[in-house]
Amino acid sequence: MGNRSSLLLREEEISQLQQDTGFTSNQIERLYSRFTSLDRGDYGSLSREDFLRIPEIAINPLGERIVNSFFEGDTGDRVNFRQFLSVLAHFRPVKKNKENKNNSREQKLQFAFKMYDLDNDNMITREELLAILHMMVGANIGEEQLSSIAERTILEADEDGDQKISFEEFCKALQRTDVEQKMSIRFLS
Amino acid sequence: MALLTGTIAVLGSIFFTPFLMLLLCIIFLASIGKSIGVRRLYIKLLLMIFEYGRANIETAQKNAGLALPAESEDESHGSSNKTAVTSQQPQINGMKKTDVVLTNGNTISRDDKHILVPDLKNGSDDEATVDKDDFDLSNCFDYIKAGMEAIIEDQVTSRFEAEELKNWNLMTRTNRRYEFISWRLTVIWMCGFIIRYCFLFPLRVVICFFGICWLVASTGLLGTIPDCLVKRHLNYWCYMVAFRVMARALSGTIYIRNKHFRPKCGGVCVANHTSPVDVLILSTDNCYSLIGQRHGGFLGVLQRALARASPHIWFERSEVKDRHAVARKLKEHVSNPSNPPILIFPEGTCINNTSVMQFKKGSFEVGSVIYPVAIKYDPRFGDAFWNSSRYSMMQYLYMMMTSWAIVCEVWYLPPMHQKEGESAIDFANRVKGVIAKQGGLVDLVWDGQLKRVKPKKEWMERQQEEFSKRLKVE
Repeated sequence: MGNRSSLLLREEEISQLQQDTGFTSNQIERLYSRFTSLDRGDYGSLSREDFLRIPEIAINPLGERIVNSFFEGDTGDRVNFRQFLSVLAHFRPVKKNKENKNNSREQKLQFAFKMYDLDNDNMITREELLAILHMMVGANIGEEQLSSIAERTILEADEDGDQKISFEEFCKALQRTDVEQKMSIRFLS
Repeated sequence: MALLTGTIAVLGSIFFTPFLMLLLCIIFLASIGKSIGVRRLYIKLLLMIFEYGRANIETAQKNAGLALPAESEDESHGSSNKTAVTSQQPQINGMKKTDVVLTNGNTISRDDKHILVPDLKNGSDDEATVDKDDFDLSNCFDYIKAGMEAIIEDQVTSRFEAEELKNWNLMTRTNRRYEFISWRLTVIWMCGFIIRYCFLFPLRVVICFFGICWLVASTGLLGTIPDCLVKRHLNYWCYMVAFRVMARALSGTIYIRNKHFRPKCGGVCVANHTSPVDVLILSTDNCYSLIGQRHGGFLGVLQRALARASPHIWFERSEVKDRHAVARKLKEHVSNPSNPPILIFPEGTCINNTSVMQFKKGSFEVGSVIYPVAIKYDPRFGDAFWNSSRYSMMQYLYMMMTSWAIVCEVWYLPPMHQKEGESAIDFANRVKGVIAKQGGLVDLVWDGQLKRVKPKKEWMERQQEEFSKRLKVE
């Protein structure tokens, strides 16, 4: 009953996070409240299970990939609030006439690129594309048809003929997509 | 030492008689089912204090410069229908509850099509008629956005925790954000604390104890009488008196609407479930037969007492798994028109009173008339939700008895019958929709058992199937 109050955020922390991520203090408080409620064991950090406990994530075909995006790099097996916020900061709406540190169009595309690029070598190979397709369609489409879809997608995007999609080719292929809208989440306060 | 015992003896004898008078008064009022309005006055007083507290907090925060105006994040893209999931709060006794309570669902605005649900309508889109598109690299964006939105705010996990209040109601347990605001508020909080723990709590424990004794004694006596009309009438009266006394033990202020739709004998009454206190609330106005798992301990005592005087259905855990036995006993019970209506909570588990989750179809297959009832608690006075994974029954009762009060509204809804050709699941969903609408609760298709178990793999496979339907393949 009393453990919630001991995890209140300090003012200095809030303003530091505001500067780093661009969220307002209201939003940071709400996200912190969400963070602590997901943190079942009161560890001050989240594990993969904490994320997968959300039913809407568990039934999302790309659920595991999305959860993994929080655990990039050297964060180990648990994610603290700062890391949690910095990933979510990518999804802030783009503001005209203001500096967009984490949520510019290029940053959003970078985030999406990492969803495809499993081994982080800055290239999307045919196998990686197939892997994502598998996750999204399950057993409903046959292997051959999936392969042809993957090949056609690479063919369309690949410009330098190396049979892989680099980040520049990725951005070019999505030139006409409204990335700012598709990868932004609007807060109500 | 002698002086101390002497003082205690004197104080005891001074307070004993008024205390006894108070007790007898409460019990008398409970037995005739009337109220002199003390609790309602108390509620009004509390609301004034809360309002004062809220104003106090706001001025203190303004002075400290903490409440910065929120930057406008409005970059409205397009005109897709975004639904902010809110629930309209019903009026309680003429007091409008405009945005006093913050229901979970107000952080981000979510597009309907980004909210993934477990059971998409089967066969809603024919293979041939769906617009198929080639696979594009941006196809996964929708899933990513849906996933991130769910991480920030989802419809389900928040239902298994206590509802968050927008304004503090001067109890430590609901204080999530404030450390120190002002001296006046601290003094008010201190007074409230003393009143709740040192005055109200002992009083309530005594009343509750008396209520339980009455229940056990009266049902014990009734158990000796053979089954007849007199017994049923006596049972009706004793049952309600016992629960009315226990309701007063929680300072229960219950507003009942549409009394002409009160459930009748030989029917099934269904309601949304928030805690075992629901039974108490509903039983102050009508006599029910109960159905549930056999418990040990405190609840077990009550269960055995009740079973002596009137027909109830208590199951062993192993039998619960046998649905046929449940259905059979249920049918037997409702086929006898002199049996009290049976009270069922089809959600099967406690939800935090902001939403109604999936109704299990078992009680809707019996074929009898269904009396839906909607129960909505006012969380400002005390949170009625029993989070069984965090608190035991005794802890929960302790928290209930040290809250300000339990204030709730109960709506009896018109009886419903299963339509021709309507499946039990559709009937259950129809009843659920009616209850959710009346109580101002969010109607969810998710299963309440997600509190304890993981989502089924089939639900993800359903999502994959939906996506595949829209994909063009050679």
